[in-house]
Amino acid sequence: MKTILGLVLCSAVVFAAPAFAHHSAVMFDDQKEVTVKGTIKEFQYTNPHSWLLVDVKNDDGTVTTWGFEAEGPSTLTRAGIRKSDFTPGTEITITGNPMRDGRPAAAWVKATRGDGKEFNPRAGFAIK
Amino acid sequence: MIPRLVLLAALIAAIAATAQPAAPPSPEKQRMTALGIEHKTARALYDHFKKEANGGQALTWRTVPDWTGIWTREASPFFWDPDQASPTALPTAKLTPEHERLLREKLDKVAKGIEFDPLSNCEPAGMPRWLVEPFLKEFVVTPQEVWLINEMQNEVRRVYTDGRDHPSEADAYPLWEGDSIGFWDGDKLVVHTSQMRAGQYQRIQPFYTEQVETVEIWQRTDDATMVVHVWAFDPPALAEPWYTRQVYKRLSNDDASLRIRYWNCGENQNNVVEKTETGTSDFSNFTFTQKDDQ
Repeated sequence: MKTILGLVLCSAVVFAAPAFAHHSAVMFDDQKEVTVKGTIKEFQYTNPHSWLLVDVKNDDGTVTTWGFEAEGPSTLTRAGIRKSDFTPGTEITITGNPMRDGRPAAAWVKATRGDGKEFNPRAGFAIK
Repeated sequence: MIPRLVLLAALIAAIAATAQPAAPPSPEKQRMTALGIEHKTARALYDHFKKEANGGQALTWRTVPDWTGIWTREASPFFWDPDQASPTALPTAKLTPEHERLLREKLDKVAKGIEFDPLSNCEPAGMPRWLVEPFLKEFVVTPQEVWLINEMQNEVRRVYTDGRDHPSEADAYPLWEGDSIGFWDGDKLVVHTSQMRAGQYQRIQPFYTEQVETVEIWQRTDDATMVVHVWAFDPPALAEPWYTRQVYKRLSNDDASLRIRYWNCGENQNNVVEKTETGTSDFSNFTFTQKDDQ
């Protein structure tokens, strides 16, 4: 199965671009989205940014670990994302704005867990 | 409101090249700006407010206002002035020619994808940028001091309301959060801050110098709203005081899941961001890439 599901140009994502407060988001291409399917390797639920690490099987059978960056725990908590939501081995389909230099990492935009539950880390900035 | 960082080159290029503030300031904003201009310095404006309040009133534990809860800024963190609703507009400050040049130079670099924020080096935002940093805030009031706490980088501003003055000019030196004194005028906290370090109001906002001083008036206007009137004075950078109205909202936290924790900027090596040879930002290391795993 081809687990890198797509790398698409997407002008619509411009206004949902990441708000990374600790560093510029210039290393990510907010005009593109990449979607991969894999299993959770580790959820680094930390400041200043969290990283969700996803093991993705390539067509040749090798595995690439992708990293998806989001804000820290308090913003993710506001988005309804807990550390326990992504335990190792969990299936996930995840979308992000990819690195410009081609490294397997992205700014996390959205994700759907294997059980169908959807997650939007950027909802953590909503005031409610 | 969801903060939005727009790095689309064409938009930023438009800022750098042609943009001007889109709308004239409101009559209220004009009046507040005129008040700043009339008093010439931050200290003179602060003294004016103190005189109007007959010196202010000392708090007791019985009269401490309830500022509890967890708060966050309402507006986009990327604009100092909430009235700057569009990234295609220049900031609303009236800058000196030199600082307008510096701002346009910065925006021009951003348009070319060259951007580095000192926060990436784990520096605090410091005042006055403290006011617009995102994430969580807490405000702790005691009769003698008010602690204004920013989650990010554990930045605490201490506002002394016990009647003390600033250190003498001979003993003053630049501080990340500056030195803040204040008084209470009813339910309003009036603050004067000096001794700040040079910095920037935000990434696509102007720079400020070590001469920057601020006057703030804090007031909780309803259960979920804190309004802060802010005047920034900085003669080398600002052609006139920059008045803005900042608003913080109290977040619902019924399940008590929101808690302000110690913020360690260096706890995850995947977040190490370095300044490249071209002056922009890039991750220096990943531990999860195939290359590193090998």
